[in-house]
Amino acid sequence: MKKKVRGYVFSRSFMGERVPQHVQNIVIRDYCEKNELQFLLSASEYAMEGCHLILKLVIEELQNIDGIAAYSLFQLPCDDAEREAIYSQIIAFGKTLHFCVEGLSIKNESDCQRVENIWRVKKVMANTDLGTK
Amino acid sequence: MFTTKTEQQLTTEYLSQGYIIRPVADIEALNWIRQQFVDIVSEALGINNDIDPEVLLNQIHERVPVTELNNFRLKIIRGFNAIDGFREHYYQVARPFLDTIVGNELAMQLRVNLSIQFPHDDSSLLPVHADTWAGDSPYEVVVWLPIVNCYGTKAMYLLPPAKAAELNQNFSKSAGQNSEELYHAISNDVKWLNVNYGEVLVFDQALPHGNRINSESETRWSMNCRFKGVFTPYGDKKLGEFFEPIILRAATQTGMSYKLPGI
Repeated sequence: MKKKVRGYVFSRSFMGERVPQHVQNIVIRDYCEKNELQFLLSASEYAMEGCHLILKLVIEELQNIDGIAAYSLFQLPCDDAEREAIYSQIIAFGKTLHFCVEGLSIKNESDCQRVENIWRVKKVMANTDLGTK
Repeated sequence: MFTTKTEQQLTTEYLSQGYIIRPVADIEALNWIRQQFVDIVSEALGINNDIDPEVLLNQIHERVPVTELNNFRLKIIRGFNAIDGFREHYYQVARPFLDTIVGNELAMQLRVNLSIQFPHDDSSLLPVHADTWAGDSPYEVVVWLPIVNCYGTKAMYLLPPAKAAELNQNFSKSAGQNSEELYHAISNDVKWLNVNYGEVLVFDQALPHGNRINSESETRWSMNCRFKGVFTPYGDKKLGEFFEPIILRAATQTGMSYKLPGI
């Protein structure tokens, strides 16, 4: 039987990116098909800057499904401690948090470290650009 | 620059030619990679994997119809990218050259690409392009790794830096109406890069390059994967979506985690 994952999309921009919700859902659906996951209707995060109330609700309701399929890992909170708390909950519940556009997922400490390395470099690089425009 | 003589030579060669070709730094890693291919291809074709790798790969066009080529290629790509340690072996093959040309804190493409080019097949052609023309960061290099000997039109071509600079100056005039006209405008200046199994090519993807119909009698198998300095600007191929850090030194790790004392 396929594992069930709840989609998670953003209704605001994140780390300078804006992706229409239907495009986020296309990417999530494609990821789920390739990874043989059952895609459950996406939860859409509130538009208020820095808000992750919907994500926290989805995590609290994880007991009956196998994980979350977020569009991007950069939809996690910018605050290191808040991200760490989310990783801890996912691991404690024995669930998986997927990041579809990156093709990565978290289910143990090693996965968290991999995603954190990307996050921390991204934060350092947040204000750089190519200068070719 | 505080570089060694060896580093200076490699740097000068890369800057003047736009590429370097060297024996791989870790032949065991390359042999391991090729064996993974043999295993995956054998399984896909339902044949025994004790076949000579060179025969299997070079003559694959005798076993796979051209109409099935892209599906076959995608299946192989999914197969080797799913193998634990595959990308690390790939990196080890070129590690010292990347250290000198790019740096020793690196970001690597998340999924290695594969090109399979059958003899006389026009369905797998890569028209002349520079990756930067499609939004790649000019800070990226490509590590191009063949698992068969690549020569003549079985290989790829590159426009050297001096000629590329001339093209940039006259691009709209040289480009003509399409990429085929552009190729003909530079065809006398491109350099075809012969790279044998056991060698690795590192090239500047900001230079025009591509391939033509493979007129040799064997199939080309080559992988390509982009590397860049972790802290150099990213283009359309972004951190997370496309690249991930593979080497972060201790001082960087402490720096990224550092917070001033709270008051």
